[in-house]
Amino acid sequence: MIRKFFEWVLSPMGRIAMVITVMSLFSLAAYGVYQTQQPPEQPIQFTHKLHVGLGIQCLYCHPGALRGPSPGLPTINKCWGCHQQIAKTQTSPLLKPMVDAMNAGVGFTWVPVAQVPDFVHFTHRPHIAAGLNCEKCHGDMTKVTIAENPQVMNMGWCLNCHKSRTEDNFQNNPTGDAIVSAQLEEKRTKLTDCGTCHY
Amino acid sequence: MTVDLNLVGAKGAIAEAAEGKWGMTIDQDICTGCQACVAACAMENNVAFVGEEDAGYGRTQHWIRIERFWDGEYPHVKATPFQPMLCQQCGHAPCEPVCPVFATPHSPAEDLNLQVYNRCVGTRYCANNCPFQVRSFNWRDYHIIPELGNMVNGTLVFPLHNQLNPDVTVRRRGVMEKCTFCIQRIHHAQDTAKSEGREVEDGEFTTACAQACPASAITFGRVDHPESLVSQMAHQERGVKHLEELNTLPRVTYLKEG
Repeated sequence: MIRKFFEWVLSPMGRIAMVITVMSLFSLAAYGVYQTQQPPEQPIQFTHKLHVGLGIQCLYCHPGALRGPSPGLPTINKCWGCHQQIAKTQTSPLLKPMVDAMNAGVGFTWVPVAQVPDFVHFTHRPHIAAGLNCEKCHGDMTKVTIAENPQVMNMGWCLNCHKSRTEDNFQNNPTGDAIVSAQLEEKRTKLTDCGTCHY
Repeated sequence: MTVDLNLVGAKGAIAEAAEGKWGMTIDQDICTGCQACVAACAMENNVAFVGEEDAGYGRTQHWIRIERFWDGEYPHVKATPFQPMLCQQCGHAPCEPVCPVFATPHSPAEDLNLQVYNRCVGTRYCANNCPFQVRSFNWRDYHIIPELGNMVNGTLVFPLHNQLNPDVTVRRRGVMEKCTFCIQRIHHAQDTAKSEGREVEDGEFTTACAQACPASAITFGRVDHPESLVSQMAHQERGVKHLEELNTLPRVTYLKEG
């Protein structure tokens, strides 16, 4: 039986069939990998590009980043605060889901894009307080329509930044001050400690 | 044989390491054994309820437990004071060097014993090496046992998931866990203090067990600050450290008369 199968594989028709099988399996796998890299389906096609281009600050819609761990995703009331004054809201087909949801009195269920696993406890506040810009981690939102992750958010990526920003070099300590050096050392201990994020 | 550490010149070194950063005192003379700390700890830290069957196997999960011993022979027994036992956050912890994957490192910043759940592979070596027996292992996914969920619109909904603390990881099957000295509260207090441009004050926050204790038998704070309440409590004459002969440098001091 098995011998017969191998003989068939070696025949011209068998070879073609095998090539087709291997190629379809490969393309299925490639499609699966491609799917994991796509931004998720959102309730409306929210254009970050347009809103940031109009000069709206990130913190207007995501104010939690200034105060606590989670920046928060805006509720429909925040959208409506501006959009009720815009005539195009009532006519645009892209905005129809928002108008319908507002009339029905239901909210959006945004799909969070930049997420960390349950065992990582990330807090936005100290990162904003350290003077980091949103686009340092989240990418340039003037270029994307639906929010997507510009990079893989893993521990090496976190630690690279934590280490480079606490290194006792010319950039962090231009005068070579001993007090600044000690502060950097203390900061480095804190920022590379397992218990800072994992508990 | 006892070695006078002053003579060998090692006392300074040991005393410095023994100080630690965060510490706790438990007053056994006023502990009533009410188990409020046990309940509060389970609520705060998402400690799972394992159920009757697993409890029968000795797989109960408690980050703090009330120990009670009997003194003497029956019928002339005398109950010893209640002894809340939790992770002592040892300075020289026996659990740390035995972990093959470094999942239980010592935090240099907070001077605590950490348990990194995502790194733990569940060898349970640390629990076997812990002289205080305070580590517990997740033998199952206790938080997502399908029989305990309700089917709502095609998805399993677990009634107790609404009371889980989002600041603490929900441990999955196959990882070790233990008391963290409520490190999420430590971080929260430090973060609040830093945003207001000040240091963390003594008594600004406390652990869940200390907060819940109706007799105020548990005190938590900085043991390296001489003026803090816990530091002054710990240096009373009543203070004893458990299994001091093992030189694990526990951060928890038990206060007991005589």
